[in-house]
Amino acid sequence: MAAAALCWALRAAGQVLPSSCPRQVRSYYVDWRMLRDVKRRKMAYEYADERLRINAIRKNSILPKELQEVADKEIAALPRDSCPVRIRNRCVLTSRPRGVKRRWRLSRIVFRHFADHAQMSGVQRAMW
Amino acid sequence: KDKSAASKDSTPEGAAKRQEDGAETPKQQLLDIIGNMKVEVSYRKKLQQLKASESKKQARNKLEGLDSESSVPRGVTEGTQRLNPELVKAASAVASSLPRNKKQTESELLAQLRRHEETTDKQKKGGTINIRNVISEMTVKRQSPEQWGARISGRISLQLDEDGQRARPERSSAQMDSRRSLKVGKRLNIFTKTSTEPEHALKTVSSPTIWDLEFAKQVAAVTAQPPRNGFEEMIQWTKEGILWEFPIDNEVGMEDDAEFHEHIFLDKHLEGFPKEGPIRHFMELVICGLSKNPYLSVKQKVEHIEWFQKYFEEKKELLQEI
Repeated sequence: MAAAALCWALRAAGQVLPSSCPRQVRSYYVDWRMLRDVKRRKMAYEYADERLRINAIRKNSILPKELQEVADKEIAALPRDSCPVRIRNRCVLTSRPRGVKRRWRLSRIVFRHFADHAQMSGVQRAMW
Repeated sequence: KDKSAASKDSTPEGAAKRQEDGAETPKQQLLDIIGNMKVEVSYRKKLQQLKASESKKQARNKLEGLDSESSVPRGVTEGTQRLNPELVKAASAVASSLPRNKKQTESELLAQLRRHEETTDKQKKGGTINIRNVISEMTVKRQSPEQWGARISGRISLQLDEDGQRARPERSSAQMDSRRSLKVGKRLNIFTKTSTEPEHALKTVSSPTIWDLEFAKQVAAVTAQPPRNGFEEMIQWTKEGILWEFPIDNEVGMEDDAEFHEHIFLDKHLEGFPKEGPIRHFMELVICGLSKNPYLSVKQKVEHIEWFQKYFEEKKELLQEI
């Protein structure tokens, strides 16, 4: 997520890193699906507070039901990409939607690749 | 004043002579002679001062003597109040002693005295820039040939003595210089005080132009060298914000200056709501939940409550139907 956000920031700002710094920079997302996922995450962040408050009115036994029905309609009127349910935790490097470990945000294949090359700190082949 | 000028001319010549003598003899004798030179010059200055004071006293005594001789006070003395009455009497006595027209000479002398008085008054007030004062300050520099000698002697003595001794003569000479230059405090009035602070304040507000920013960016880009090792790389990352600062501070972004009572007692924000009914009940529950929330700042909590207030005000008509 952090790396995706960084890439988004780079694309948006059009920054150019200093030429003397020889660092690998990811200036594009892996694929369009990843881009859409990034958009959804952004929107969900923007509308999070409102959604929370309207839901607090909806999921209520105290307030009158008419009010809750109005709140239902309101929340349905919000943009579709603003709901957090549509976010998919994809692999950060390959954009694989399945087989992604949440702690590393990597798909199983990438994780295995890095772990075998000893590039994952504190990760070891299990043997017992 | 003439005496001091004459002495100034004599002392550099004397110093030059002594320096030549010192260069010929071996080191120890040179050190002694340089030491003696310093003492002599200072003694000479003291003598000069004594002589000046004595001459002043003698002049005063002479004037007083003249006053006692001339018993008749002139009408002129009453008119000229500024001038020293002793000087006036002295002028009259001098005029009487000269063979030419006495009254003319006396008036001329009095005019000269008046001019002197004016200049002295101006000097006292600090109006004129007396070059003599500026040059008098330069008497400090007369010491320099001796002090060069002292420094050279100090360096020579380094080779002979230990390091502890080297610091002392240099320090003492520096202190002497500072004492002479800083605390001899006659104002020369060469420069006028200008208060430049408001100008500076205005400048700093309007100065960061786009060109300045671009220039600054260019300079930063040019001077930014690639990191030589992992440590420098990590430093660069920390500056950019990629790497956190260790030891990790959990409250880096948050700057909550509010006290605990502002977080917990949120009843005062409930003033816009009706005092009875389900809405009040609902809002009290909301406040209860917010008071237990450690993750939001007070500002965010207040915004939360205000949003609800706005929402319920919009729905007032609907609520009244119910």
